[in-house]
Amino acid sequence: MSFEKVMMSDSKREKISHSVCVGGPMTLHTIDGVIRRVRPIVFTDDDPAGWVIKARGKEYTPQRKFTMSLLGYCEKDRTYAYDRLKYPMIREDFVETPDGKNRNTENRGKSGYRRASWDEALSLVAREIKRLQKTYGKETITACTSSHHSWGLVGYKISLFKRFFSMMGYTRVADNPDSWEGFHWGTPHSYGYYWRLGGPEPYDMLEMAMQNAETIICWSSDPDTSRGGYSAQESALWRWWMKEMGIEFVFVDPFNNYTSVKHATKWLGPRMGTDAALLEAIAYVWITEDTFDHEYVRQHGHRFEEFKNHILGLGPDGTPKTPKWAEELTLIPAMDIKALARRWAQTPTTVGSGMRGGFGGACRSSNGTEYARLLTLLSCMQGMGKPGRAFWGPGCGAPMNYNFWFGGYSDPLASIAGYPVCDDVPVNSVEQVLYRPNLPDAILDGHYEWYGEGFCGGGVDLEFTRHVYPAPGCNKVHCFWRYGGSFFGTMLDTNKWAKMYKSPELEFVINQDIYFTPETRHADVILPACTNIERVDIGEVGSSGLGGYCSHSESGNSWQVIVYQDKAIEPLWDSRSDFWIFSQVAARLGWGEKFTEGRTEEEWAKRFWQFSDLPKQISWEDFKKKGYYVIPVSMKEEDKDPKTGLYENWIRYPGFQWFAENRACDTMNHKVFQEEGLLGTFSGKFEFVSESLTYWAPDDEARRPIPQYQDSWEGHKSLSADKFPYGLISPHPRFDYHTHYNQHAKWLWEVPKNRVVINGNPYLVCHINTEVAERKGIKDGDVVRLFNDRGSCLCVARVTNRLYPQTIHAYTSSGIYNPIEYGKYKSWDKGGSINVLTPGRLIGDYVPAMSPYSCNIDVEKVDPDPNYGQGWEHILDAVDKQQLETERPIRTSAEADLLFGEKEAQYKKEAI
Amino acid sequence: MLKKPMKKPGIAINSARCMACYACFMACKDEHCGWDTALSKSQPEMGQYWMNIKEWERGDNPRRVKTATVPTPCSHCDNPACMAAAKDGAVYKRDDGIVIIDPEKAVGQKQIVDACPVGAVYWNEALQLPQKCTMCAELLDDPDYPGFEPRCVEACPNQALVFGDLADPESNISKLIAANKVTQLECLGDMGSSVVHLNIPQTFLAGTVAYPKELEEVCIGANVKVTGEDGTVYETVTNWAGDWEVEDLPRGKSWKVEITFDGFKPVVYDNERTDVDHYVGITYLEPAI
Repeated sequence: MSFEKVMMSDSKREKISHSVCVGGPMTLHTIDGVIRRVRPIVFTDDDPAGWVIKARGKEYTPQRKFTMSLLGYCEKDRTYAYDRLKYPMIREDFVETPDGKNRNTENRGKSGYRRASWDEALSLVAREIKRLQKTYGKETITACTSSHHSWGLVGYKISLFKRFFSMMGYTRVADNPDSWEGFHWGTPHSYGYYWRLGGPEPYDMLEMAMQNAETIICWSSDPDTSRGGYSAQESALWRWWMKEMGIEFVFVDPFNNYTSVKHATKWLGPRMGTDAALLEAIAYVWITEDTFDHEYVRQHGHRFEEFKNHILGLGPDGTPKTPKWAEELTLIPAMDIKALARRWAQTPTTVGSGMRGGFGGACRSSNGTEYARLLTLLSCMQGMGKPGRAFWGPGCGAPMNYNFWFGGYSDPLASIAGYPVCDDVPVNSVEQVLYRPNLPDAILDGHYEWYGEGFCGGGVDLEFTRHVYPAPGCNKVHCFWRYGGSFFGTMLDTNKWAKMYKSPELEFVINQDIYFTPETRHADVILPACTNIERVDIGEVGSSGLGGYCSHSESGNSWQVIVYQDKAIEPLWDSRSDFWIFSQVAARLGWGEKFTEGRTEEEWAKRFWQFSDLPKQISWEDFKKKGYYVIPVSMKEEDKDPKTGLYENWIRYPGFQWFAENRACDTMNHKVFQEEGLLGTFSGKFEFVSESLTYWAPDDEARRPIPQYQDSWEGHKSLSADKFPYGLISPHPRFDYHTHYNQHAKWLWEVPKNRVVINGNPYLVCHINTEVAERKGIKDGDVVRLFNDRGSCLCVARVTNRLYPQTIHAYTSSGIYNPIEYGKYKSWDKGGSINVLTPGRLIGDYVPAMSPYSCNIDVEKVDPDPNYGQGWEHILDAVDKQQLETERPIRTSAEADLLFGEKEAQYKKEAI
Repeated sequence: MLKKPMKKPGIAINSARCMACYACFMACKDEHCGWDTALSKSQPEMGQYWMNIKEWERGDNPRRVKTATVPTPCSHCDNPACMAAAKDGAVYKRDDGIVIIDPEKAVGQKQIVDACPVGAVYWNEALQLPQKCTMCAELLDDPDYPGFEPRCVEACPNQALVFGDLADPESNISKLIAANKVTQLECLGDMGSSVVHLNIPQTFLAGTVAYPKELEEVCIGANVKVTGEDGTVYETVTNWAGDWEVEDLPRGKSWKVEITFDGFKPVVYDNERTDVDHYVGITYLEPAI
C-alpha cells in the first residue's frame, strides 16, 4: 500500500459511500479523496427486518450486517497497491512495423515498458485495429476477460466488454465451466438441469435442512472457504447453528479442509480422482443391505436394474464394487466406507459437492463427470426431495424474495449490451470462436478442433457441436486484447500461455487492466483502468442471474443487498474507467456515439435501477443518497412474527420437493416439462443408464452410459506415477479470488496459511503429510519444489496431518507468476502459480473440460537463493521515473473527457 | 468517553466459534494502516498483527485432526506488565480499563515490547515506537464515527468476537462469559483483563473401535473409559463411525484407556499421553471365547 504519506484521521471530514467487491458489499469512508477505511454495511432501523427460521425449538435469525470476507477488508491495500498500473505504457522494444512482422514478440514477458500518453496509446491501438481488420478481417482480433476483477453491472464482462467487442466484431473466446466441469458435462445426463448447468435447486433448503436433516455430507466441499461463490461469509453462521443443534457433518475431501477441521464428525480423505469408486461402493452397501428407497427408485429411476447389476459385478466388467474394492482405490478402509453408507441410509442426510452443491474439485478430475452423475444417482436412491434428504451444499438456500427482480451479475437482461438496458443492441458479426482452455494451442498450432459450446445451458445437444479453428472462410487470430485479471493462475498448464504470448502469430497484444498482472507483462500496449471504487456503477452480490445458470444463487446470502457503487475517490494516477477507455477507442474507430448512446456511466447505472423492481420501492435520488437497498424477504407486514417483528413467512419453494411428492414443479427457474413432474433427461427420470449419452456419444470413453469409476489418464496407476508419485489437490483458494488479490494486497501475504515471505518473496503455502516430509527431510517452513514434466513451482511447506501421504495440497489461482528466469519457458515459478503443474489435457474427446485434479507431482526440499526476489517491480519503477515531455499530462478524467471530446469529431472524419 | 457509556468495555473471544477466516485480522489492518490517530501512529503495511490469529493443528494422526484458533489482540490486562515497564507514563490505563501506549511518550522505549507476556506489542523500527491494539477506543470515543464496535468485532461473521460492558452482568458479553468456559491465556496466569478468552481447547484423546480385522466393521456403542493419574474418570461410547473422543483433557498427562464391549475381550492401554492431541489408534476387538 502506498499513500504518498501517512495522514491524520478526522472523522468530521469523512465522506461515506458504498461499493461491492467479491468480498461483499462495502461501506467506504474517505477523507480528502483518500480511502480511510472499508467497513461492512451495518443495517439500521430504516432497513427491513430479517427472516427467522424456527427449528428444533429455537429461532434463528442472521446478524444485522452483511458479513464481508477478508478480501473485502483488503480493498484499501489493493486500491493503493504497489503494482497498480499508473500510466499507459508501450513495450520498449515494440516496433510498429507496417506488416505486423519483426516486432520482437519473443521478448514479451521480460521487456521493459515506456510511459505513453493516453493519446499515443489509444491512437496506436486504433491504428493497429484498422490495419489488422483491413489485412485479415474482423475475425483476426480476439479478446477475453476474467470474471470479477472489478464489480458492477455497467463494467461487467457481459455488459461493457461485450458491448464494445460485439460492436467491433471479434473472435469470441468461449469460457469453459472451469469451477464445475463434471457437473456441467455430467449431471444433465443423470438428472437434467442442463439449464442450471448441472447444478441443483437450492430453494429454501437451509430451512428444510435445519428442520429435518441429521447428517450433512460435504463432498469435495469447503463452504467456509468457497463462500457460496460470491456470498462472502454470509453462510458461515448457519453452519455453526446446524452443528450446535446436533446435525453431524461429514467431509469427504483429500484435504481435511478448513470447514472440516471445525465441523466434521468424520473426515474421509480419498486418493485423488477416486471419488467415483467410493460412491459405487456406497451404492453396493445399500443394494446388498437393502437400505435404499425402493419405491422412489421404482417411480423416479430409469434402468436401475442395469446399474444394480453393474454394482454387483453382474455387468460386463464382472467386478463387484465392494467396499474392499474401493478401499484399494481410495485407500479409505472398507469399514469406514460401510459406516458412512449406513449413516447416510439410516438418517435424513443431505449431500452436496462444492460451494453450491454442484461444484467441487472432485468434479474437475478426469473422472469428474462420473463422480457428479453418481452423486445425483445416489441422492435418488435415498429419496432426494423428501424431508431432510437433499442434494444440496450448506452454502446456499436461505430464505429470499423470489418475486423482487433486479438483474444480477451475468443476467442477460442486465447488460448494457442487451435489451432493455441499451437502445441499440450490438451483434457480433464474426462467427469464429476459440475455446479458452486451448487458446494457446490454437494460436501456437494454428489449428484446433473440439466438441461443445463453453456453456451448454440451451440443451445437451450443444455438448456435441463440433468447432474448428480457424473456422471455414475465416482468417487466424493475430491480435489479442486481454481485459482484466490473469489466467496464468487459473488456466491449466500455465507455461503454454507464456509460450503463446511469445508467438509472432500474435502481431499485437493489448492488455487493459488495473494491475501489472502476469499477463499484463506480456502486452505490447497497456491501458491502465481504475478500480470500481474510482468510478460509478451499480451492483448486488451473490446472484448469478436468471440466465446466469446458477439462478437464485444469491440465496447464499442472509441478506439481499443492491448497492449504488458511488465513486469514492478519483481515478488514481493516469488510470481511467474501462468505460472511458472503450469509449475512446470506439471514438477513434468512428463509432463513439453509437457505443455510448450519449450516456455517462451514471446514466447507464440508472438504467439498471429503472428496469428492475427498485423504482417501486425507492427513488433513484434516495437510492443514490442511501447507497444501498435491502430487499425484504417479504413485502407484507402480516408475514412478520408479531412477537419478534421478524419475517416468519415468505413464499417457499423447497427445492426438489415437487418431484419427491409427484406434483407439478413449483420452484423458480424450471422448464415447462417439469410441470408434468418430469426431469430434464430424455426419460424425464433419474437415468441410471443415460439415454442421452447412448444417443449422442455411444463411443464416449470418458462418460459411459452407466457412470462408473475409471482409472485416470493421470492418476496413481498411470506411468507418470512412477516418477511423480503424489496427487496434487489444488482447490479454489481461501485467501484469494480467482487471481484478483494475492499479487496486489500484501496484507494477505501475512496470513501464515496463505504465504510466507522469505527474502522478500511471498512463497505460496503447500501442505505435505508428516510422514512424507520426514522421509524427504522437509521441515515446516522449508522452501520446497513441487514439480513434474510440465514445470516447477516453489512453495513453503506446511507439514500436516490434514492429508494422507499420497496427496499434496496447494491452492490454485495464485495471482503471482514469477519464473526465476523471466520469459524462460518452464523456469521454476516462485510465485505459487500451481497451474504450471496441472495438465492441459481435457477430460475426454467429447468432454472439453479441464481437469486440474488429475495431476501427478513430486516434491523436494530446495535452498532458496536469496536473489529470488520479486522479478518485475523494476519495470514499473523505471516507468515511474519517466516524464512525458511532449504532452501536458491529463490530471482528471473530466479534463480528459473535455480534451478528447474536442478530438472526437476529427476522429470521426478520419474514419470515414 | 464511549458512545454507549460503559464502565469496563471488553471483548470476549470464543475460540469454539472461530474459523480463522481472518476478517478481524484484515479489518484491524484496514483501520490502523496508513493513518495516525490521537491514540496511535499508523501501523506499517506489513509486520504487525494487532489482532493476531494464533492457530495450531490438533491431532497426531490423520484419522482425527482439528484446529484450534485463538484471535489474540492485546489483552488490556488489569495490571499491565507493559505499563510497569514504561517510563514517563508512556503506557497508561484509562478509567474504563483500555490500555494505551502514548505514541509520543513511548518513542524509543523498546522495553515495552519485551515486557508483554502475550507478545501483543510490536516494534515500529521506522518510528522507534512500540505499538498495539487500542480496542479502537479512538472510534468508540468519537461521536461522529457511525460504528459502535471495535473493527475486529464488527468484522466477525460468527459472533466469535463479542463486544460489551464487562461490568454490567446483564450485557450480552457478560452472559456469554457466564455460559462458557473462561480460558485465560496461560501466560497471564490469574490476572484479569478486558479481553476474555473462552473455550480455548486443551487436548483430546481419540480412537476407533472395530470388530476383528477380517470383518472390516466398525464397532458402534463400545464403552470407553479414560482414567487420569489423579483418578479422574471420563466415559464415552463409540459413535456411528466407531470413533470415540474425550475432549479438553489437561495437557501433558498420562491416561489409562479401557475399551469394553459385550462378548469381546476388554482392551486396556496403560499409558496414553496428552503431550499432543492424541489418536490412540484403531482397536480391533477379539471375541471373548
